[in-house]
Amino acid sequence: MRDDRLSQRILIDRTLKGLLVGVALIVALVLMSIIWFVASRGIGAINWTFLTSLQGSPGASNVGIVNAILGTVMVAGLTTLVVIPFGIWCGIAMAEYPHHPLIRWAMMGIDALQSIPSILFGILAYLWIVVPMGHFSSLSGSVALAFIMLPMVVRSVEESVKQVPLTLREASLALGVSPTRTIMKVVIPCGLNGIVTGALLGLGRIVGETAPLLFTAFGSPFLVASVLEPVQTMPLLIYNYATSPYPDWQQMGWGASFILLVFCFILGLTTRFLVRK
Amino acid sequence: MTTTFDVSQLRVRIGKESIIKGISMSFFPHTVTSIMGPSGCGKTTFIRCMNRLHELVPNIQVDGTISLFNQDIFSVNPMLIRRQVGMVFQRPNPFPTMSIFDNVVAGYRLNGLPLSKAEALRIVELSLHKAGLWQEVKDVLHRKGAFLSGGQQQRLCIARALAMDPSVLLLDEPTSALDPNSTAHIEDLIAELKESVSIIMVTHNIGQASRVSDYTAFFLGGELIEYGTTQKLFTVPDDPRTEEYLSRKFGS
Amino acid sequence: MHHNRWFKFGLLMGPFVLMVLVVCMVVTLGWAAWPSVAEVGLGFYVTDVWDPVHDVYGGAVFIWGSLLTTGLAILLAAPVSFAIALFTGYYFCNGVLALVAQWVLDLLASVPSVIFGFWGLMVLVPMIRLMETHLGVPPYGVGLFSAAMVLAFMMMPLMASLLRDIMLTVPADLKEGALALGATSFEVVKHVVWPHTLPGMVSAIMLGVGRAIGETMAVTMVIGNANHWPTHLFDPSNTIASLIASDFGETSDPLVISHLIHLGLVLLLLSLVTGFLGRRLVRMTRA
Repeated sequence: MRDDRLSQRILIDRTLKGLLVGVALIVALVLMSIIWFVASRGIGAINWTFLTSLQGSPGASNVGIVNAILGTVMVAGLTTLVVIPFGIWCGIAMAEYPHHPLIRWAMMGIDALQSIPSILFGILAYLWIVVPMGHFSSLSGSVALAFIMLPMVVRSVEESVKQVPLTLREASLALGVSPTRTIMKVVIPCGLNGIVTGALLGLGRIVGETAPLLFTAFGSPFLVASVLEPVQTMPLLIYNYATSPYPDWQQMGWGASFILLVFCFILGLTTRFLVRK
Repeated sequence: MTTTFDVSQLRVRIGKESIIKGISMSFFPHTVTSIMGPSGCGKTTFIRCMNRLHELVPNIQVDGTISLFNQDIFSVNPMLIRRQVGMVFQRPNPFPTMSIFDNVVAGYRLNGLPLSKAEALRIVELSLHKAGLWQEVKDVLHRKGAFLSGGQQQRLCIARALAMDPSVLLLDEPTSALDPNSTAHIEDLIAELKESVSIIMVTHNIGQASRVSDYTAFFLGGELIEYGTTQKLFTVPDDPRTEEYLSRKFGS
Repeated sequence: MHHNRWFKFGLLMGPFVLMVLVVCMVVTLGWAAWPSVAEVGLGFYVTDVWDPVHDVYGGAVFIWGSLLTTGLAILLAAPVSFAIALFTGYYFCNGVLALVAQWVLDLLASVPSVIFGFWGLMVLVPMIRLMETHLGVPPYGVGLFSAAMVLAFMMMPLMASLLRDIMLTVPADLKEGALALGATSFEVVKHVVWPHTLPGMVSAIMLGVGRAIGETMAVTMVIGNANHWPTHLFDPSNTIASLIASDFGETSDPLVISHLIHLGLVLLLLSLVTGFLGRRLVRMTRA
């Protein structure tokens, strides 16, 4: 009687293990499928023309995605330039005075920002910048992306600063260094790893964002030098081309996806590596 | 007789709890003074008052006066006191992002005090010599200090404190995190250092107190029980509580 | 820390500006949604018609669409996440398999939404279309189910990582005690790991919901963009986010824009509530 139950239990155990492995394989399969499709269809589209030409009409030759590549750099660059100093500023404040009432509210604000869907930031940037200006612009796109990136940077700065051991601060203070200088010259350098990780995580996120740019940066077939004009980004291009009925556009969409995906993968693995350090 | 620190009726409370209940004592130049006592007797809080690091503790309240060379330390900016008084902590804490060289002159660099390259080198060499670390690190000054052993790191911290040319050096259980070999090294060092700087040391190792210090103070429950020359305290203590503490520690 | 007064003031200015921004955000959205609220009132939430031609605007379809896709996605993602978490947090905690699994999850988590959507449209949708023909359902390929599937795959890495962290905190002596009594691995999971992880499961679900409900691009590309009430699982429909994505830039009627922002506020509320609850639960279980 005992033996019967035992073999049944072992069967259940083995079945479950098999199920788990199966599920894991399915998940791995999804990832591989994504990589496979993006790579196999995308690599074929990539050549020098592709990387250096502007967008054009379907069926045209000598077209490419350079305006999207540069546009992405421009929008993401502006966002990063603004968010990193402000994020470090807020992060330090929140780490230094965690019990101050203003900070308590700010923490809830950061939590709220993290929960807000990115498309709503697009609406906000639209109302705040596109409407008064009367036209789309990469500036409004950067503003929308800034709200997405800011909480990520603030969080990681706050955590990094809090993790610097008290004894290092004490060592600095014992040398007669002011608390302000202690923060700037001891605590931040020690917490740099965490700050960089947060920045990279944020960058990886905004580079792939599409929704908030749909009606802010909007897209443009031109090379743009001013932040006051609409601009194309990689994700926007991918969205337009992927949902279009033209095979050559779809092919270029895969190409752009390949470049974007490689970039995001590198960033993702780099941050994971930095976190392990 | 000149004194370095003069403490008068010091009382320290954290919230409702009284940590130090009225201590008065003076410290003398070119001497090593040990403060010993069981855990919780207030010796660490006491020494941290001397360079006003106690102010990091929330809800801490201090009554009484502490003077350094006849100047009330609570009437000036704490940073000024801390530049005259050096501190070495229980766990070695060299700055991990700085090289050994930069660690030694960290007091200058962090404070924005200008130092020419030659000046800096001179100070680094002198301080590392005084700390007995020069021979071991002179070829690797520009590497970060993480590879140093515990004892070497602690001597680096001592060098860092000495580089500021303090008049008093505060040592908070400087060898309790170190192995016996490093401990012996540092004890020898302390004996040499008193020529140039006065030393106030907290220790729970009474053997160390007896080996190294000229004067010893015994704290118990936030009060100063006895204070005198080490020789007298250890051989013919006045207070029976001192005697009990010593015999318990020696006996165990 | 006792910084000097000016430094402290300057430092606190940062969070202050942040709070001012957040307040302005809420006010702006409320103001912009007001014309819609004033016009349609509470009926907005139950009217299931969105008809620009006849000027009838109701949000029920989209609210329901968001909730339905998210709910379905959770149904799919939760057991899968739990399974993956078991895989990496219990059965194969250390070693090569765990590392590979972690990499797979990390990489999946870094795939941008639009690429997920692209893949979903080109790979998943044809497969589902095939399935639909076999099931005798109109073979659109796009629809609620496709959207839910893509969402599930997108939520899964986050949820699995969270669950794995919690699973690693199961006290070793409980697991070993059960094994010593002769339990199979499955029984240890059933009697020890599962009860311990259950609260974590709830918080993972909350967090997943928070993310999924606002997910825009991937959903927009596979849900079919049909503004009618779905009649069955495979019917094309629309969510709040995908409606905004497709219509916001297209319309010039300010009242319609106001309706869209109104819906956006609903989405905001749902996201904030689930996000808040999720984070609360995570803090409670991590403590």
